Amino acid sequence: MASALPEPARAEAPRRLPLRWPAELPGLAAAAAGLALLAVRGLVAAALGVELLAAAFWSWSRLGADRSEQLARWGWLRRPAMALWLASALALAVPTAPGGAPHGARTPAAIVHPEISAAAPLGQRDPLGPLRALEAAAVLWAGLELLGALPLSRPFPDLTGPLANAGPWLPAVLPAAGFLVLWRQAPIWLAAPWLREVAEALLLLAALLAVLRAWTRRSWTASLRWLAVFDSALAGLLVTLETVPPEIAFVLWFAAAGGRLIALGVEIRGASGRRGPRLASLWRAAGWTAGASLAWPLLVEAGFAGGRFRPLAFLLLGAPVLLAARLSLRRLVEAPERRALSRPDPARALSLAGALATLALGPIALLFAWWSGYEATFPGGAVALLPAVLGAWPQRRRAPGPEVPALVRASLAAGAPARELALAIWHFVIVLERRVAGALGRTLRALSTPARDLHTGDAQEYLLLLVGIAMLTLLLPLLR
Amino acid sequence: MSAATVPLFALALALGAALLLRLLDGRRPGVDGLFSALAWLALVPLAALAAWPQQATLTQAGLAVALVVALLARDREDLAQSEVALKLAWTLGGALALSWAGESLLATAAGSAVAREQWPALALQLDPYALWTSALALSLLAAVVLLGAAPFHFWLADVVQGARAWQAPLVAAGLQAAGAALLVRRLDGIADFDAGRSLARAVLGLAALLALVAGAATLATQRRPERRVGTLASLQGALVLASLAAFPGAPPFADEGAGALSGWAVHLALALSGAAALARFVPVDNRPAQGAAGLFRRHRLSAIAGAYALLSLAGVPGTPGARWWLAVARALVAAHRSGLVLALAFAWLVAFTVAVREIRSAFGSPEPAAPLPHATPLAARGALWCAAAGLLALIWRG
Repeated sequence: MASALPEPARAEAPRRLPLRWPAELPGLAAAAAGLALLAVRGLVAAALGVELLAAAFWSWSRLGADRSEQLARWGWLRRPAMALWLASALALAVPTAPGGAPHGARTPAAIVHPEISAAAPLGQRDPLGPLRALEAAAVLWAGLELLGALPLSRPFPDLTGPLANAGPWLPAVLPAAGFLVLWRQAPIWLAAPWLREVAEALLLLAALLAVLRAWTRRSWTASLRWLAVFDSALAGLLVTLETVPPEIAFVLWFAAAGGRLIALGVEIRGASGRRGPRLASLWRAAGWTAGASLAWPLLVEAGFAGGRFRPLAFLLLGAPVLLAARLSLRRLVEAPERRALSRPDPARALSLAGALATLALGPIALLFAWWSGYEATFPGGAVALLPAVLGAWPQRRRAPGPEVPALVRASLAAGAPARELALAIWHFVIVLERRVAGALGRTLRALSTPARDLHTGDAQEYLLLLVGIAMLTLLLPLLR
Repeated sequence: MSAATVPLFALALALGAALLLRLLDGRRPGVDGLFSALAWLALVPLAALAAWPQQATLTQAGLAVALVVALLARDREDLAQSEVALKLAWTLGGALALSWAGESLLATAAGSAVAREQWPALALQLDPYALWTSALALSLLAAVVLLGAAPFHFWLADVVQGARAWQAPLVAAGLQAAGAALLVRRLDGIADFDAGRSLARAVLGLAALLALVAGAATLATQRRPERRVGTLASLQGALVLASLAAFPGAPPFADEGAGALSGWAVHLALALSGAAALARFVPVDNRPAQGAAGLFRRHRLSAIAGAYALLSLAGVPGTPGARWWLAVARALVAAHRSGLVLALAFAWLVAFTVAVREIRSAFGSPEPAAPLPHATPLAARGALWCAAAGLLALIWRG
């Protein structure tokens, strides 16, 4: 008897698919492990953490249709990882102090030669000083590059990440990773001479450029990514200046940059995170409060350290803080409520919780700072609030025509002519940096090209090379 | 398994990997047959040289070179292999002759052929300075060439690319181990002779600097995976030079304890076995967005085993290869040779980067719609596992 099922029905019968995990899962696990390792003290953990983060981006970049572009876009993430590997290797090999033993390493007793390996006498130059400085510089490099404070990586927050559904959010993780490196490894890089000054200058420039770029972007998600860079750069400055205890700096950063990350995460799922006047206002207040809390101790330190007012430092730091405050308040556009009775929405609930946490954490951190002994002088403390307050100052609104969409209306309110100037400054800096980096790259390539020729000779040429080297070894001792 | 049996175990695994790869080689009339088995047996002395390099003398190194040249020149139809044999005969033969001349001059000047007895005699300053300094520099030349340190790194890349997959790792590791042993033997006792130690420190320092920087620069510009593996092996030779440049007269990798040289050579043989085998299966074109290599799509675990060997050869943390880089760095730091530490760091970063880039490129981008490639032969996968097992044993034994 023939089968009861007709042929087409049999063909459509469900097949058992082999058990496969989602292709994004290995990257997700690597990124989570990487970020967790960055919060651990120790250079090896930090190096492994950044390596895993780079591996996660690589793994995700391979999955999309735009894989060539994404792989090229995020290849640079191995640079900070390599910098941290170098730093950890140097930490294992170089004694922490002149005459001391390497971190946790056994002393190589078999190779100790008293004449050579003795510590430098007091007052003389430390022969291992350059290596210690290199270790510190490598850590600083890794932190700054992840933060977008170095020329080669600066434009990354403009780009979307590799995953289709989380692409706009992923790049905002990188400044967080950069801050974690700077914060956790601060004892290493702050100990090196004049690296602190270099870090201050680079972080200030990064903060300024980030807020200018956030100002020029019309899209709120792109602006949020740049504001995350801005907040992380400010928090990095807080670590550099050692204004507040490191734990307080971390909480202030977490409130400001974490708030941006939550807002961005909610935003890419839709507008429900800012739907309704109350939620939108709450987010505005939260962004402003967290940013002002982060900037306040910095402005006090930069403008009023040592009991005297330093107008240039105050202005350099105050101007971006003002811009960021204005952006936090004016760029966020309230999404209209389309239903008479809103349905329960997990994204909305998450948004509400995130906004409340962001609102509360900054002031709480400052309260703890005060509790642990931090005090601001008068009138420095009051004046340091000015940039944030001025950023919140109500502005007389022009009345654009009804045909202008709400998004553009908000950006007009934020100051369109100023945006032109900000864009020009941004482009000037980026083009300049790219030209310098390009010239350096071309020089390096030109210098390394002859290395290829060492491999292209035939047997006779090898013999000539051998004779040449033999002559050199004969002559060298005679020349000494 | 005790520490003493680790070299034996590693030796067996390296030879096992070579045998498995030998089985893959096509049979050709007039070349294969009983003599083919003898050719594999010819690898045993080279493996022994890698496992116990302390015994190597200039004569034994010369015999090893002759054996390798004969082994490679055996198949006249294989042009690439014959070319490698010719190059080795020219360069290694010439270097050995020059070093033999240097040894003879030193023996004439000091009145003894034993290195340890030569230094007190030379310290009396009865001979012209130029004579013994030139002789010493010449006597080191063969060792530097055998180590494959740049600018003599070409022969290693040639061997890995041109020789058969089953021959190349043990040929390279055996000759490099012989070179390291020659250096140790030549510099034995020189620490008590200040002028000699100073000269050796300067010459070896210069050679190590050149080997590390030029080797790393070459590695970054290599296009073929086999040549990259060969150049990574040349950086291993540079490690020995740098270690001796820190403390001439002390054994290399001294802080790794007695038998460190043997450990280094055994690691080199195993890592080369895996990495050289893997190099035959990774794409020549190093574009990141291409599809995965066949081995990496069909046999991921075997590919990871091979990748582990490549990473170990590059000294990536977490592999047994990293300890040799760290040992040299510590020795150089203890000797306050910051310039060499920087060169070492540069070479290590380049090696690490190149190895990771190669593995990423081999993993490629997933193409679920593409049909599965043909299975990689079991013997080749077995060779990769042999190398990985040996390396894991090295990690296990510390």
